[in-house]
Amino acid sequence: MVDVLVLVNGQADVPSQNTLELLGAARRLADATRGKVKAVVLEGSQSGLGAALCAYGADQVLRAEHPFLKEYQSDAYVATLDQVASQAGAQVILLADDARGKEVAPRLAHRLNGGVVTEVMGIAGDGSAVLFQRQMYGGRTIATFAARRFPIVATLKPRAVEPAIEQAGRSGEEAPVAVVLDAPLLRTRVVEKVTEEVRGVKLENAKVVVSGGRGLKGPEPFKQLEELAQLLKGAVGASRAATDAGWIPASRQVGQTGKSVSPDLYIAVGISGATQHLAGMTGSKTIVAINTDPDAPIFKVAHLGVVGDFKAVLPKFIEKCRELTQD
Amino acid sequence: MNIIVCIKQIIDPEIPTEQFKLDPTTQRQIRGGLSLVISVYDQNALEVALQLREKQGGKITALCLGDSGATGAVKSALGMGVDNGVLVSDPALLALDSFGVAHVLAMAIRKIGVPDLILTGCVSGDTGNKVVGPLIAEELSLPCVTFVTRVEVKDGKAVMRRIVEDGYELVEGPLPAVVSILSDDSNVPRYSKLKDIMVAAKKQVPIWKAADLDLDGAKVGAGAARLELRDVSIPRRESRCEMLDGDTPEGRAEKLALRLRELKLI
Amino acid sequence: MTPSREIYWNIPAHLLLYPLFLPFLAAFLYGCYRLVKLIWIGQPDKDIPPIGRQLREIVFQAVLQRRLLTQRLAGGMHAAISWGFGILFAATCMVAIQEYFGVPTLSGYFYLYFMSLVVDLFGLAAVIGVVAALVRRYVAGTQRLWKPRDAQGYSLFLWLLLAVLVSGFVVEGLRIAATRDPWGLWSPGGWVTALGLTGLTHAQQTVLHRVTWWGHAVLAFAFIALVPYTLTRHILAAAANVALRRPQPSGVIQPVVLEEAEHFGISTIQGFPRKDLLDLVACTECGRCQDACPAWVTGKPLTPKGLIIDLRDHLLARARGNGNGKSMVGGVIGEDVIWSCTTCGACHQECPVFIEPIPKIINMRRFLVLEEARFPETMQAAMRGMENRGHPYQGAVPSRTDWAKDSDVPLMAEKGTAEYLYWVGCAAAFDERAQKVARALVKVLKAAGVDFAILGDEERCTGDPARRIGHEFLFQMQARVNMETLDGYGVKKIITACPHCFNTLGNEYGQFGGHYEVIHHTVFIRDLLRQGRLRPRTTIRETVAYHDACYLGRHNGIFDAPREILGILPGIQSREMERREEKGFCCGAGGGMMWFEERIGKRVNIERTEEALRVKPNVVGTACPFCLSMFEDGIRAKDATEQLKVMDLAELVARAL
Repeated sequence: MVDVLVLVNGQADVPSQNTLELLGAARRLADATRGKVKAVVLEGSQSGLGAALCAYGADQVLRAEHPFLKEYQSDAYVATLDQVASQAGAQVILLADDARGKEVAPRLAHRLNGGVVTEVMGIAGDGSAVLFQRQMYGGRTIATFAARRFPIVATLKPRAVEPAIEQAGRSGEEAPVAVVLDAPLLRTRVVEKVTEEVRGVKLENAKVVVSGGRGLKGPEPFKQLEELAQLLKGAVGASRAATDAGWIPASRQVGQTGKSVSPDLYIAVGISGATQHLAGMTGSKTIVAINTDPDAPIFKVAHLGVVGDFKAVLPKFIEKCRELTQD
Repeated sequence: MNIIVCIKQIIDPEIPTEQFKLDPTTQRQIRGGLSLVISVYDQNALEVALQLREKQGGKITALCLGDSGATGAVKSALGMGVDNGVLVSDPALLALDSFGVAHVLAMAIRKIGVPDLILTGCVSGDTGNKVVGPLIAEELSLPCVTFVTRVEVKDGKAVMRRIVEDGYELVEGPLPAVVSILSDDSNVPRYSKLKDIMVAAKKQVPIWKAADLDLDGAKVGAGAARLELRDVSIPRRESRCEMLDGDTPEGRAEKLALRLRELKLI
Repeated sequence: MTPSREIYWNIPAHLLLYPLFLPFLAAFLYGCYRLVKLIWIGQPDKDIPPIGRQLREIVFQAVLQRRLLTQRLAGGMHAAISWGFGILFAATCMVAIQEYFGVPTLSGYFYLYFMSLVVDLFGLAAVIGVVAALVRRYVAGTQRLWKPRDAQGYSLFLWLLLAVLVSGFVVEGLRIAATRDPWGLWSPGGWVTALGLTGLTHAQQTVLHRVTWWGHAVLAFAFIALVPYTLTRHILAAAANVALRRPQPSGVIQPVVLEEAEHFGISTIQGFPRKDLLDLVACTECGRCQDACPAWVTGKPLTPKGLIIDLRDHLLARARGNGNGKSMVGGVIGEDVIWSCTTCGACHQECPVFIEPIPKIINMRRFLVLEEARFPETMQAAMRGMENRGHPYQGAVPSRTDWAKDSDVPLMAEKGTAEYLYWVGCAAAFDERAQKVARALVKVLKAAGVDFAILGDEERCTGDPARRIGHEFLFQMQARVNMETLDGYGVKKIITACPHCFNTLGNEYGQFGGHYEVIHHTVFIRDLLRQGRLRPRTTIRETVAYHDACYLGRHNGIFDAPREILGILPGIQSREMERREEKGFCCGAGGGMMWFEERIGKRVNIERTEEALRVKPNVVGTACPFCLSMFEDGIRAKDATEQLKVMDLAELVARAL
């Protein structure tokens, strides 16, 4: 019997896509092992959220409220989850593999003397074992791990698992959880937050992503990618080569250390397909690659390919797409 | 200010697919004739340390846990300009999980002396794990900030640029602290000066064994691993890529657009 | 009556000439001493050419001025001035020979034909030359003389020389007029001048003659004394530079021993060998190198002329004691300048006094790379790739044998031995476009029944980019590893389609004991065609403009073989670009520039593509994978893919079989 604790954070009153994926995975694991799904909500909550979480599969919604939890602070989060997890007694604790999850998960696992596994793409459980699947060697391989002790703190790779399905009428418990936090606990603090201007669709949620890589050889061609993304109502991404070179902000990076995306359509322009990058986009439904090198590894994962220089291919492609989308 | 950078030696990841091979018994990558390099984000961490030393002075120590060949990684770090290097290598410590690795590194850090700043790469270049930095922080009860691209030190505090989904945060924290480093155009690892490479090649890297550190058997002994690696497989790709043909790139571009329309993707 | 004239007519005190000369001579010698002292702060040189060779070079280049005359007008002008001056000087010495040794130089036919006529004509030519030089420099404003900055000292030099020449004619004219010289007509210049002086009385002529004679002497002595202090010093320095010219070709860089070296590369002016400092002193700022330099022509801050005169001025400043402000590398010579060089060798080719900018740049690069580790990031990435993976290409690339997958190419490891090793090179293995050339060459070699094999994964980059970027350490490592592999298989003959591999394997590995017979594929194919082992049957109707690759053509003298191939293939019409053969214009990728993002000025490959388009071929023929890549980019950038394509000669030959 595996009880799963899911961390829900963010102040919206509607569960985010990440949260739905966490709930989906949690529910499936709990169902397979006749366990329960508990959701813990931090950081100020809206009253509607609890009911929504239950509709999507939570058996219990725990609310941890504390002034120190108004904004994300890693020490506060770790201490809070430590207390909540100990009280809730879950065997598996799921967090999204986002900036917060990556920071909190290992520390939490250490506090709980359990295990940690990050960027999980699949969880399976039966009577005998709980298995976690993740990529290894930069996306070249899939590794399967079995838990040898509990709890296991796992971060879920976004867009890698099926989200939970809403069941109208499904309800659960809601309960507050007392949390003790001391001020000296909070050692770091956010002094300033700089948000990159996101025009249009957010990369993680886009249905269409157009990415550029080293083959673009500079920042100017990204304007063409913007044009194409806007036309297809999508977002622009980039490989690490492009962001490291400063051609486009790091928040646009798709890859092992960037964002994970799984849009319906992923167009990779001038990207060779280094495993670092593939790790971030192999979940895409249809992958199109435009590259001068027919042996580039990207073609091994792409569904459609055009061998050619983007300088010749893109303008014509954009023109034709514009023509086709106008009727 | 003194800095310790934790580095790991891995097999060069930028290789053609055909050269990537798995050993069926150990489930690990076979080295073959491939080069060994310092894990890429660890290199960025070394660069951040070197830039900090230029501004603040102090000493940098590269700390590595690996097999006996990992002296190469330490020498590489020395070639980049770090002051000292230590390798922890022991046959008993070759098959540790992340908790074991973090524990060994933390005990080694204690033995060297907890410095003002501990840096490491944000993601491991081969396993893809993102946990060792935060685990070391927990071992040493130090504050931890992850996915940082830039570090500045002012009045004994660190100000770090931490990358988040929609931009970045400036996080202030006390020292000592553990920071895991992400790459960006400000921390591109520098090329080593030849003199430094030659001097490093001649240096003797101190090698510590398990017995030199006061290790907790529960974290590093046999059976200490909290997760068991059951299987590693290379996913087979069923479908082949459909290459659009045409005499000119422009012709192929048109065909691509039409095909996507056929598939109702645009 | 024997034609003759009285020596020192009207100059009774002529013996005073010698004491008068003494202070000027002293100044001259002191100036020369200072120049030598200046050069002597450099490092001792290792290879001094044998005396016979030195004399030969002086005859061909300093006397006959062969290289200068490649530009006919400017060369002719210079020849007129220098030969004129030389002949006049010799004639003056003839007077002394008659006076002190009794040899009758000023009598008879020798007097008439040589001393009078020939000398006067050369004098007139010299005057015309000097006037032409003044017009060219100050009226016409010829660009290469004025950029990057105007030369100090030409004004004084030219006007003084003109004064010497003109005063000489005036002296002669006065003598002819005053002595009513019966043979005056044999000195046409003097005779014409005399016509203008008939208005003066005999007494006036005599006095004026004496004054002008001494005046002319002083002017001439002043000119001689000033030689080491102004650009006129090139008379001596250029001759010396030409004589001491290093024997190795421009494509070969000299190695340095790195273990135990205190410092790497050259970062101070005194770190240069003395011959390099002599180069700086010999420069006349003519700018021929500049006009030929692909970097300068496309707007980069590098000009070989600028490099040399900046270094020279830095040397002079240091000698004066005020050169310690700026550092030589990065300060006097900007890093932008140092990283713009493609090592194409056009500057070496053009320089009439054989100055060598390339070794100076490479040594400064060695300082930046080895000592400071301060060099462009893209080049760093290429070097890292070479260290870790044995090649400078990045990203996930194919293996070294992927290009050969469907071509059934014999591997040395399997075959054990073969007559020829086909050295594929990194470009043909990893660059998609260049892979087609490798496949074409294999097809050609098989058609001719050549016994060959490739090294496949055992091949490592020859190290050429490392050496040109200045990473001598990495280059020597690559050389050692490759030589071990080659010698392990007992390889003697190597065919390669890449001129950089060709140059490095054939000319540079010998510095470390690796001696191989390396043949470029165009030479090899040309020989196969001549021997009838290849029979091209298919007609190819293309107009081909052949582009001379720098490392094949200029650096290694191979211009004819590729053209011969084009001549033999049926149906091909050849066109020539304006800048060809030794004067060919670089594609822009040499010197490690393949791994450098050109951010200043116009891209070199665009400049060359435009030149190709001007002769309206439908194919540009190349013999180098870098040139191939540069042209592919250039043609795309110019939107000319419809009218022009680029093909390696191997591809053309394969099509014709």
